[in-house]
Order: sequence, then C-alpha cells, then structure tokens
Amino acid sequence: MFRIRTVLLVAALWALAIGAPPSADAERSLILATTTSVRDSGLLDALLPRFTETSGIGVRVIAVGTGAALRMGREGNADLLLTHAPSAERALVDEGVVARRTPFMQNFFVIAGPETDPAGIARMGSPAEAIAGIVEKRTCWVSRADDSGTHKREKALFRDAGLAPNLERDGLIRTGSGMGLSLQIAGQRRCYILSDIGTFLAFQERVHLVPLSQPSPSLRNVYSLLQLDESRFARPLHREEAEALEAYLLSPSTLEEIGAFGRDRFGRALFTPLTPADAPMQPKP
Amino acid sequence: MSTTPNRVALSAHALLCRRGHGADRFELRVDRLDLHAGEVLVILGPNGAGKSTLLRALAGLDRSVDPRAIRGPQGPTTLVFQRPTALSGSVEGNVRAALLGKGVPEAERRDRVHRALDRFDILPLARHDARTLSGGELRRLALARAFVLEPEVLLLDEPFDDLDAAGQRHLSLDLQEAIRETGVAVAMVTHDLRRALLLADRIAVLSHGELAQHGPRDEVLSHPDTPEIAHTVGMTNVSPGRVVRREEDLSWIEIEAGFEVPTTATLDVGVDAWIGIRPEHLKLDVGRGDGRPIGKAVVESLVSDGLASVVTLRVHDRRFTTHLLSGRGLARRLRPGDPVSLAVQPDQVHARLS
Amino acid sequence: MPSMDDTMLSPLLTITLRTLWICGSALILALLVGVPIGIALGSRQFVSRGLLVSSVNAGMGAPPVVVGLIGSILLARSGPLGELELIYTPYAMILTSTAIALPLVIGLTLAAVGSLDAEWDLQVRTLGIGRRWRIWLLVREIRMGLLAAIIAAMGGILSEVGAVRMVGGNIEGETRVLTTAIMMHTSMGEYEEALGQAAVLVGNMLVLAGLLTWIQQSGRSRG
Repeated sequence: MFRIRTVLLVAALWALAIGAPPSADAERSLILATTTSVRDSGLLDALLPRFTETSGIGVRVIAVGTGAALRMGREGNADLLLTHAPSAERALVDEGVVARRTPFMQNFFVIAGPETDPAGIARMGSPAEAIAGIVEKRTCWVSRADDSGTHKREKALFRDAGLAPNLERDGLIRTGSGMGLSLQIAGQRRCYILSDIGTFLAFQERVHLVPLSQPSPSLRNVYSLLQLDESRFARPLHREEAEALEAYLLSPSTLEEIGAFGRDRFGRALFTPLTPADAPMQPKP
Repeated sequence: MSTTPNRVALSAHALLCRRGHGADRFELRVDRLDLHAGEVLVILGPNGAGKSTLLRALAGLDRSVDPRAIRGPQGPTTLVFQRPTALSGSVEGNVRAALLGKGVPEAERRDRVHRALDRFDILPLARHDARTLSGGELRRLALARAFVLEPEVLLLDEPFDDLDAAGQRHLSLDLQEAIRETGVAVAMVTHDLRRALLLADRIAVLSHGELAQHGPRDEVLSHPDTPEIAHTVGMTNVSPGRVVRREEDLSWIEIEAGFEVPTTATLDVGVDAWIGIRPEHLKLDVGRGDGRPIGKAVVESLVSDGLASVVTLRVHDRRFTTHLLSGRGLARRLRPGDPVSLAVQPDQVHARLS
Repeated sequence: MPSMDDTMLSPLLTITLRTLWICGSALILALLVGVPIGIALGSRQFVSRGLLVSSVNAGMGAPPVVVGLIGSILLARSGPLGELELIYTPYAMILTSTAIALPLVIGLTLAAVGSLDAEWDLQVRTLGIGRRWRIWLLVREIRMGLLAAIIAAMGGILSEVGAVRMVGGNIEGETRVLTTAIMMHTSMGEYEEALGQAAVLVGNMLVLAGLLTWIQQSGRSRG
C-alpha cells in the first residue's frame, strides 16, 4: 500500500508541477488554415515567428488537406485561409464565404518520374501531351486521389489531355495519402506522379525520381490568402488579427523573404512572390 | 448449558424474507425467534429450507427484510460465511481489517487482535499470507475476525464444513470456550447433526421456509412435532400406528402385527398415532431387563464410523436403526441376518397423534 | 514550471514535457472517472447492466481515430461545443485521449472486480465496516488488476496520434506532441528529426512501463 500511495503522490505533484502549457488564449491569436504541402515546405516556420514577435499575435497553424481547409473556411472554423486551389477558392468567393481573395505567391507543379523515362515525356511540349503519352504507353501513374490541391490540378490536366481523370486503367495507383507518401510509392514502383515542387525537392533523392516536365501555365500553382466574410458566421472571427497577418504576408519585406526561401536547403527558391500586378490570368477550369 | 433462559440478545418478530423471481421465488417466514446471550441456537433443516437465508436475514444483510422485524443487540452482529474470504494481506491484517473505521485506539486494537488470534490458536500464523491458509486455518481466521469485533450476536453458517474429525473437535472446543468467555449469542447452521447436538442449547427446525419447531435442545430432540422434524433431528425410527390398549399408565401402539410399542404419552385407545424412537434409545434385548421388549427384528447391516456402529434392522417392511459402540460386545458379534429382539424404555418413546 | 519559455528549453524537451503532461493528465482523468464506474458496474447486478457492459466492451474496441473524428466535429467552432473554444488546445487532446482510454479502464476494472468472490462485499459488510472503508478495501483487493489497467491505458494514450492530431492541430508551441511531431516530420521527409523524437518517445514508454512493471512484480511477490 505504501508504494501505491507514493506513486499517487508523485503523480499528483507532477501533474501540478508541469502546470498549464503556455496558452495563446490570453494573448491575441488567430487560426490559419492551410494545406499540408504548405506546412511541410517549412515556409510558415520561417515567416511566422517574426510576425508574432512584432505584432504579439500568435498564429495557430492548422494544416489539413485542401478540402478540409476550405471547409474550415466555409464553416467559420478558421480565421484566415492559405490555399492553392484556385477554382475551388473562386467558388467560395462566389458563394460569399470569402470576402477577399489575394493570390500572393506561386510555383509550378512538376511531373516526376523514373530516370529512365519509359514514356519519354521529357521531350514533350505540354503536360497534357505528357499525360496522354503516359496513358498511351500504359506506364504507371500514382495519384493522390484525395481531392487535394495537387489532385485537383491532376484532374484538370487529364481533362486537358482529353482523358477521363478517374478512369480505371492499368497502371493507375491511387494512394489517398499525402504527397510525401505518394512520392515514395511512386519511387518504389518507378511510376510517374504529379507533385508540388516543395515536397518533391524534399524527397527527391530518397525516392530516385527526376523532374521531367517543363514549367508551363497549366502547371502553375498559385497560393492565395482568403479573408472570410465575417457576417456569415454566428461566432466572431479574429478579424483584426487575420487582417494583420495578411498585411504582414503581403508586405514587401515578407514577399522578399518568400522569394529567397528554400535556397539553403534545395539550392533554389521554392516560391515566387506575386505583386498584385503579377496576379496571372488563371487558365479557365 | 443453562436451564433458565439468559437475556435476549436478538429477537426476530414477524420476519418475512423474499428472494429470487418467478420460478425461483423463495419466501421465509418466522413468527418469533429469540437468541439468548451465551447460548447456541442450532438451526436444522433439509437443503433449501431457508437456513442460510435466515442467518443472513438475522445478520441484517437481506434487503427484502423489514428492519423493524429484527430487534437487534446494542453491540455488533456478525456472520461467518460458509466459505469465508480472506482479504489480501497477512492473517493479522485480516483480523485488523475488521476494526477499520471504528475508532479503536491503536493499543487496544493490537490487544484485541492478539487475543482474537490466540483464542483460535492462529497466533503463530499471524504474519502468514492469508491466501496460503488451509481450509481449517481459514475458518479459524474467519472466527478470529468475527470475535475481534466483540460481537453480541454471532451467526455461523456451516462452521465445520470440510474439516476432519480432529479439526472439528478442536475448533468446536475453542468455539465453546470463546462463547463461554464472551457471552455472545450464537445461531449456527450446520448439517452435521452430531456436531450440532454437542453444541446446541436450543434447536430451531426450518422446513419449506417456515419455522417448524424451536425450543430447548432436549425437548426438540425428544419430542419433535412431526415425523419430518423427527427425521431432521435424528429421530430416525418413526412409524405410524394405532393405539390398541392402555395399561399401567402406558399407551400401547401397534405399528405392525405383533409389534406393540409402549409409550408414556397419554393417548386414547383407537386413535391413529405415530411413534418416534431415537436410535440410541432403541435397544437390542440381551436379557438384561433393559426396557420392555417390543418385538423381533433381523439385522440388515452394520456400518461403523469408528466411534459408533449404525445397525439397520428390518421389521417386516420397515427399517429401524440403532447405535452400538463400535468394537464392543454386540457390535463385534452381530452379523447381517442375525435375529434380534428389540426393547425400549416407554419414557423414551415419543408419540403424537397423526 | 508554470510557464514554459520556449527559448530557454530545447524544442525537443518542450515537446516531451508537453507530451507527458497531456498524456499523464488524460491517464489520471481516465482513472478518476473509469475506476469508480468499473467498480460500480462490477459490484452490482441491475437491469441495464448487460447493456452497459456491452457498451464498455464495444468502446474498448472502438478505433481511436473515430473518437478523434467525433471529438473534432463536436469541439469545432461551428460545432455544438464550439463555445468552449477547446478545439486545437491541449485540453481537447486530454479529453480525447481520456475518451479513448476510458472504456479500457472501465473494462479492466470491471474484470478485476469480477474476479473477486461473489459475496465479497457481503462478507466485508458483515464485519460492520462502513462504506468508505469497504471501497478502500475493494481497491486494495483489485490493485493488481488496476495496475494492469494503468499499464494498458498508458500505452494506448502515449501512442495515440491520429485522434490527438485531429483535435489538437499539431500547433507548434501549443499542441504538438511527440507522436504528431513524428508524423509531421516524416511527411516532410525529415527522418532524422522524426527518429530522434521516436527515440525519446519509446524511451519514455520503456521507463514508465518498467516502473509500473516493477511495482507490479513487487506487489505480486508481496501477495
């Protein structure tokens, strides 16, 4: 009995001693919903600490799939969205959920594949041709099949190539998983895959895949900030904080940092900042 | 064993106990039952008569019983179960546990525990793990645990179960001494008739959930109200018959042609009656004038349990039993098939109207 | 350490302490709630007992990720409990972990009580021992079974990743624990970090399991 009492005592003391974690409840904070690929790139880890230091506002980053992030916006479960799924984002604007959409940085998707390039897509001019070639030659293709931003783009590319995106065919592997895991599967099976550049670079060596596509408008990946329309929600959003963060992210010094991000790790920048004038014409869905 | 009743420690009035549902329903009814300080009441009855139920009701453990039916003692009432559980820990710890939360100062606690362990001879086992005890040692532990409470009423459910003869004897002596020293009122359920008879001051017989008869030991043993009770209290020689004559203040009851049994009971001639004779009172007539001869029988079997031989006798279609001391005289000479003459003392023949 | 200053302690230490705090709190909460329920269910017979015990058994097999899903729906700002503002806080993680461990604690406690003599309670009552003390004695009798419940619950809570990620959000400095951090670093391809955290996690589990096993074994020899 003595022993049990001691254990209980120690447990109780320890619970008290560790105490409450630092909570952002007392100070100002907001919830930023973004995608896993953005989070995984590490960009936010580089940018946000300075924001919190100077403004005193904590940013609680919730990284989920694109679908979930947009849904969080729709239901008022986030204060600001950072996503890269233009047509879905525009739909939200049309619905009135999003009050203001601001594209602010971009990069390009890449179609990666085995070094041997069995479908010979390196020589092809457009992604649509590349995909058509892959399908024609029945070489395998890994799809995330999870309605993420990457997946949505993949479907658009298939449509461009005149192919039904979800068609069952030999060599189609649907992972339903994140980018990193899907890349690893593609590497293992020596398949082609569409990937965002950041995750691809992080996994490149490990999976033994090489980028085979050329930058092209249809591979453009535009990241936008979405401010939500407060009046739609019963519970108040952290409006001021969301505005402050947006202002910070769009400030020239931050954009400059964005443009330099990735050089140390990958030898090249992962993102290209956009000024409002740069906001590109989006390809029609 | 006292002849004048002691102070009543517990009194049950209009006790009604209901258990089980539907087909398993069981009801126990006791109009009046008293437990006296320093006395042992033995509760007898066939299986299913409600003996354990009664004990638990008296212990206050039965929720279906109206608490007002039991006018209990000032001091504690405790029940020792047929299969006592040992708490984890030492023997001493088990006994100590009984005093939990009772505000007994440490010194007194130690003293009481010590005495209780000593009473039942398990002081040497004090530090042993209670789970390693043998059946007999466990019973002693349970009793010590009960006595440490200094109870006013002690209820025992089959306290001698699973003990060998020596163990039973030893335990029963320790128990008797404890009862004598503390003046506790005891009610005991046991199926071991012999042990019961050794300890009982009073006997209560239960049958089908009712209190069929209760009273001082000798009276119940010698004068059971019904043949069923007679069997329960060990009066095995029971037979229906008819009163055929009265002579010399004796009633003669014919139970079989040529087989007449005299009894001191006063009964009218011609009435139907039944007689009961305790086995120890049914004598084999060896010409020593030990009672009145009543007829002849044939020895059917002899079974000895080491102490006594139970002799089964046949009279036409009936069987009677008698006891002989093993290894002595008749017991050594008799064989199955031997004819014998039976005799009784009329004042030892119990008779009642049918 | 009422407030953890992140710049003073290494990130790994911070995450580890937070993990221990969240998991420990969930364990204590699960025990405080689950043991009494298990004792109550195990001691008595009552009409709806069968139904409740079945629910407990079902709960033991329930996938933690389902609990996480339900938790995130309930606690989201737009959800029924949104007002509590618990989503993406450590408290949501504690509650979710508790919910996952609770059926296990109840079930094992119930089993421990069930292994006692059927009339245990009656026998102790007949010694005139009051209710509080009877409960103390009961807990003492089943302490080995409770220890098994603690070990099992602790293992489950420490290894939980999906559910706590859903309700906690894996926010750096707030709700990131070892398991969610391992998942994150793995999905980023940062295997070195992930392995380091995995080593700390496993190390912690080994120490805790070892400690509890030692208590269990010494308790057993003492009987």
